[in-house]
Amino acid sequence: MSDAVIDIENLTRRFGAKTALNAVSLSLPRGAVYGLVGANGAGKTTLIKHILGLLRAESGSVRIFGLDPVADPVAVLSRIGYLSEENDLPGWMRVDELIRYSRAFYKNWDDAYAEELRQAFTLDPSAKIKTLSKGQKSRAGLLVALAYRPELLVLDEPSSGLDPIVRRDILGAVMRTIADEGRTVLFSSHLLDEVEQVADHVTMIRQGTIVMSAPLDEIKASHSGRTLDEIFVSHVGSHT
Amino acid sequence: MRSAAAAFAWEFGWPRRWLFVALGLYLVALGLLKPVFLGSGATLDLGDGYVAFGTVPFSFTFMYFIAVFSFGLNGDLAARQSIYPARLFTLPVSSAELARWPMVYGLTAMAMLWIIASLAARWPMGLDLPLVWPGVMLGVVLAWTQVFMWMPYGFRGLRVVLAVSVLITLDTLVILAIEYKLSEAALVAFLAPQLPLAYYCACLVVARARRGVVPDWSVFSRTRAREAARSLSPFRSAAAAQLWFEWRRNGRSLPVLVAMVLPFELGTLFITGFGSTSYVFEVLIVALFMPILMAGFTAATVNKANPFARDAYGVTPFTATKPITTTALIAAKLKMAMWSTFAAWIVVLAFIAIGFSWSGADAVLIERWHSFADQVGLPRAIVAAGLILGGLMLGTWLMLVQGMFIGLTGREWLIKTSGFVWLVFFMALGPTLEAISESTDALRWLWDNWTIFPAILVLLKMIAAIAIARRLSHSGLISDRAIVAGAAGWAAVVFVLYGVFVWWADTLLLPRHVFLLIAILAVPLVRISAAPLALDWNRHR
Repeated sequence: MSDAVIDIENLTRRFGAKTALNAVSLSLPRGAVYGLVGANGAGKTTLIKHILGLLRAESGSVRIFGLDPVADPVAVLSRIGYLSEENDLPGWMRVDELIRYSRAFYKNWDDAYAEELRQAFTLDPSAKIKTLSKGQKSRAGLLVALAYRPELLVLDEPSSGLDPIVRRDILGAVMRTIADEGRTVLFSSHLLDEVEQVADHVTMIRQGTIVMSAPLDEIKASHSGRTLDEIFVSHVGSHT
Repeated sequence: MRSAAAAFAWEFGWPRRWLFVALGLYLVALGLLKPVFLGSGATLDLGDGYVAFGTVPFSFTFMYFIAVFSFGLNGDLAARQSIYPARLFTLPVSSAELARWPMVYGLTAMAMLWIIASLAARWPMGLDLPLVWPGVMLGVVLAWTQVFMWMPYGFRGLRVVLAVSVLITLDTLVILAIEYKLSEAALVAFLAPQLPLAYYCACLVVARARRGVVPDWSVFSRTRAREAARSLSPFRSAAAAQLWFEWRRNGRSLPVLVAMVLPFELGTLFITGFGSTSYVFEVLIVALFMPILMAGFTAATVNKANPFARDAYGVTPFTATKPITTTALIAAKLKMAMWSTFAAWIVVLAFIAIGFSWSGADAVLIERWHSFADQVGLPRAIVAAGLILGGLMLGTWLMLVQGMFIGLTGREWLIKTSGFVWLVFFMALGPTLEAISESTDALRWLWDNWTIFPAILVLLKMIAAIAIARRLSHSGLISDRAIVAGAAGWAAVVFVLYGVFVWWADTLLLPRHVFLLIAILAVPLVRISAAPLALDWNRHR
């Protein structure tokens, strides 16, 4: 069995006539930060949904921790923390109810850590989710994604539309997760400076095909020290 | 498109063009009924069943117009914020115009609806209906609904309570006016001035909503929330947490809806006097069927929109990414439906007890109960009451589960088609039963062969159950042992019910296998066992 946290082979997915993912193969070893970059509609979210088991592989295979996320969702999802751009937390819940509800699903839930994050994010426990600002909602989502110290943290466009302070919190969370030895972060973003700040490894995706996947240092070295932004434009053809 | 009027016309008309075409075709078909099938001189004989052909689509269209022109389909009816779409607030038009055009088009649509309805009643059906006041009444109901929908409120849910109360009061006043034989002119004089008044109110509430005014009277609930926040204890298990989630999200809708509607239904015992025994039983039957009817409405809310799914229905990523099995997710939904059913029935029984005893109508029920118990014996009477109550509760639960199950397929066309099929079935039922009751040959054939229908239904149920069991086994969602145990449990319940039926009504007129067929049909199997497959498909598309 491979030691990779994420092991995808020849994954193809079509939605009607549109090919969202075309023979994607990706193997991400444990203990690093992986940045997934691509233009809107390139297939980033579709790839992440396969990793979470929200989409079934039509052809090819997806293995997370060596397991099929569709066949064994409990074993896979109990080790993944996930924050989406849409942030679909139920608006009717209070923050304390969200914490209470979420902790029931994870054996490794750390109450002290959850409280530390709640205070750091200045979240009022009696506030309803729907009354929170977009940034506060993201913080609440981040809290419940981090509080059980997941082995794999998946962030789908987490900073999209957020102010610099919330983005700093998110990047801080990524750093904290890395600090826990052996943990892995996969995050998709169109903010390339952000990716450049924290990613060890960058995967570029265009029209469902991976056009580049390598350590960030290697990418920069092979492109004569150009910024990630410039490299992205040269490979993907346009800015995100 | 150069004016606000044209833009609003497009907003309301274009997305619904096919519905209007379908409605037009239906009306043309209804109009051709007389010349083509009955001959030009004939008058259509109006049985109750045939009326459904006319009244059901018109009632449906009326409700649809109310929902469309008040923007009631766009948002959360219980929310404190105005339902009026916020995107329209940024248009460079006055608040009065924002209120005016939906009202003008809505009133026009309502007026046309009534003109067509009254023409359809006069020709071909030959009914002489009043032409003016019902049209004005439809317009007034729409106008006040628009005001209540667009108004921001201080309490969550106040909109629904206020709108239902005021509209039912208006309805009752008009019914009383008809009862006391007020002239059409007097009714119009009562109704028509309400239109400019409603328009004035609509301008005010739209202006308030546009300024972002949302009163907040929830000081008490905030204090209560803080107190509750201090006393939250952890859930025993993930399944318990999921059940709590489902209950909070969907479980309270049915009992609340039933509690809102029943007082008006039972209130007629006080307003009109219960007079006859048949009226008392009419009210009782309507009250007993209310949870099943309301479950049909609430079923649509059991599934929330999925922002990730291409269609509007599905499991949200928030739920789908929880480390819990699909079977546990569906079990939480089924349990929630069960608790919701129990809560609704506690409300129904409490309201019936209070309503009938306070109005004095309970004397009629008690007398009939004693008479029934004398005829069949007390044990049989108790069992019959238990079976009826159990059947109604099961029916309520099944309506909730059915709505959830159809929604869980995640296929919008299926959800909409099932609603349409239900409507067509409802419309066709009356005429079909009436036609059968009037045909001696049909009645004779049915008397001899009616058992073939439950037999066919049982056959279909068994075929579906076997197919689903095979799929369940193949999917690995439920172990083979659990499938066999479930089937054995189901068979045991069927045999117990069969035994009760045979004990209760053993007669030479009905062969015993008919009781078995009815017991098989009565105990749910297919929809419940298919639910995990539907959720699994939706969770891992």
